[in-house]
Amino acid sequence: MSAIGLGKGRARLQGAGLDLALPYLLLAPSVLVVMGVLVYPLWDGLRASARAYRYGAVIGEIGFQNYLALWSDAQFRNALWVTARFVALSVAIETVLGLALALFCLREFRGVRLLRTVLIVPMVITPVVVAIVFRLIYAGDVGMLTAISQALGGGQVHILGDPVRAFIGIVALDVWEWTPLMFLILLAGLQTLPVEPFEAARVDGAGAWRSFVDHTLPMLRPVLAVAIVLRAIDAFGTFDQVFVLTRGGPGEATRLISLYGYDAAFKFQQTGYAAALFVTVGLVVLAFALAAVRLLRRVGPA
Amino acid sequence: MIARLARAGVTMGVLGIVLLPIYWMVATSLKSNKEITQETTLYPHAPSFANYLHLFSQKEFGAYLTNSLVVTAVSVALSLTAGSLAAYAIARFRLRFGIEEKIGLSLLVLRIVPPVVILIPVYLLMLQLKLLNTWLGLILTYTAFNITFCVWMMESFFREIPVDLEEAAMVDGDSRFTAFRRIALPLAAPGIAATAIFSVIVTFNEFLFALALTATPRAMTMPRGTATLIGRIDTDWSSMAAAGVVGALPIVIFALLVQRHLVRGLTMGAVK
Repeated sequence: MSAIGLGKGRARLQGAGLDLALPYLLLAPSVLVVMGVLVYPLWDGLRASARAYRYGAVIGEIGFQNYLALWSDAQFRNALWVTARFVALSVAIETVLGLALALFCLREFRGVRLLRTVLIVPMVITPVVVAIVFRLIYAGDVGMLTAISQALGGGQVHILGDPVRAFIGIVALDVWEWTPLMFLILLAGLQTLPVEPFEAARVDGAGAWRSFVDHTLPMLRPVLAVAIVLRAIDAFGTFDQVFVLTRGGPGEATRLISLYGYDAAFKFQQTGYAAALFVTVGLVVLAFALAAVRLLRRVGPA
Repeated sequence: MIARLARAGVTMGVLGIVLLPIYWMVATSLKSNKEITQETTLYPHAPSFANYLHLFSQKEFGAYLTNSLVVTAVSVALSLTAGSLAAYAIARFRLRFGIEEKIGLSLLVLRIVPPVVILIPVYLLMLQLKLLNTWLGLILTYTAFNITFCVWMMESFFREIPVDLEEAAMVDGDSRFTAFRRIALPLAAPGIAATAIFSVIVTFNEFLFALALTATPRAMTMPRGTATLIGRIDTDWSSMAAAGVVGALPIVIFALLVQRHLVRGLTMGAVK
């Protein structure tokens, strides 16, 4: 593609002062805002992570001590572990369900349009409201699960008081909210695949499953990989829903890394420590993204 | 025949799983607390809008809604304007040292980092600037986040437009900027729409920064206000449900109205 901004030799363009400055003028507003509100804070966060605070005021430069403290903090390790389990489980379930649903909807039939419309709802609803929806489902005395159970002659169903069930509870919330996104992305990916291999396979008498494993899956791999990586990064930063639904409880069973960092900063006022925590989280996510990009390059468009 | 039955069955099942939780919230919001706690009915036997009237007469939901609308509209408008210009520059110009490419890449990296990572320093920044609990503080924050997204989306839309059209306009005497305004911008309209819609939804729904940066109905947004409310009324189930319905309604209606563009924005990143 030719670049028509500069040096393209169009008579009118050459030497026109404003036109030479144009690209910089176009870039300036965005760069200024992002520098001021994102890049400067990022750097400031790095500085804060090397400081000790008391009641919100800086009381000293302490180098890497906050990071060393993180290393030996059992609650931090627990939060990382909970987050890792949450991300792995949620994204795995969402991928399988999303793919199944996308394959199911690939053949146009009555109901697909309705299905696609309805599936938009969970992912656009305010996450705080999603948390309310699930509180009304899980509430032991009045929740939907209890109501259904009682209508069928059973007893109350308690979810959020039990560590294991509460954890499954937040995974279920994430699956409900984000499987539709996986579905939409994978459906769009499936629709771009060429049809010839499938027709050839059908002529050869290959079954649906063989055709899926031999053709669909390999061709869909790049889209699948991108979707999984994007969703995983997003899930890693989950905060709103769990903050409103469980506040990390019971105990530390659902305390994701973002909730732990938030509490450290705003509840316990350990500003420097929390800053170090978030710098670490940022690095972990970037490392993950970089590794994913390298992997994707290798996998390449199949 | 069996295939059709199976298809209908799966469709109904999926619809049920998606809609039942929402139905339950709406149903709960129409019940009285007595009906909820003592009878655990499956549908409201005596539906009433009392909870909603209560919500708007006592709790500051009108203020939350106003704050949300202003903050969302202004920050999306700002980021869309600034972001489209920058995206165009990145898509069309080759600058010295490849600056435009480096800026594009930096914005992408900033987009990958979860927002929660810079929550603390942004809070400290707004504290310093005395912008805590103001519209402006939220608008600045959301504008910056939206720009990273907007540039990335719009850049690929501009790249899809053939350069020849702008070149022809310039041969006919348009300035570089006029060519952008008259030719490229109108052709990128569907992309701008998709980007705007996505930004509106994300901004309207944002909670984490609203939680840290606002504290009173003066600047609290809808999600922030809703969360505060349900923190205060832990077992007032019907009010909680009504707050959830009111909190979700504007954005769900919006999303369904603009569905077609929305799907494009949501899926584009991965499929391209």
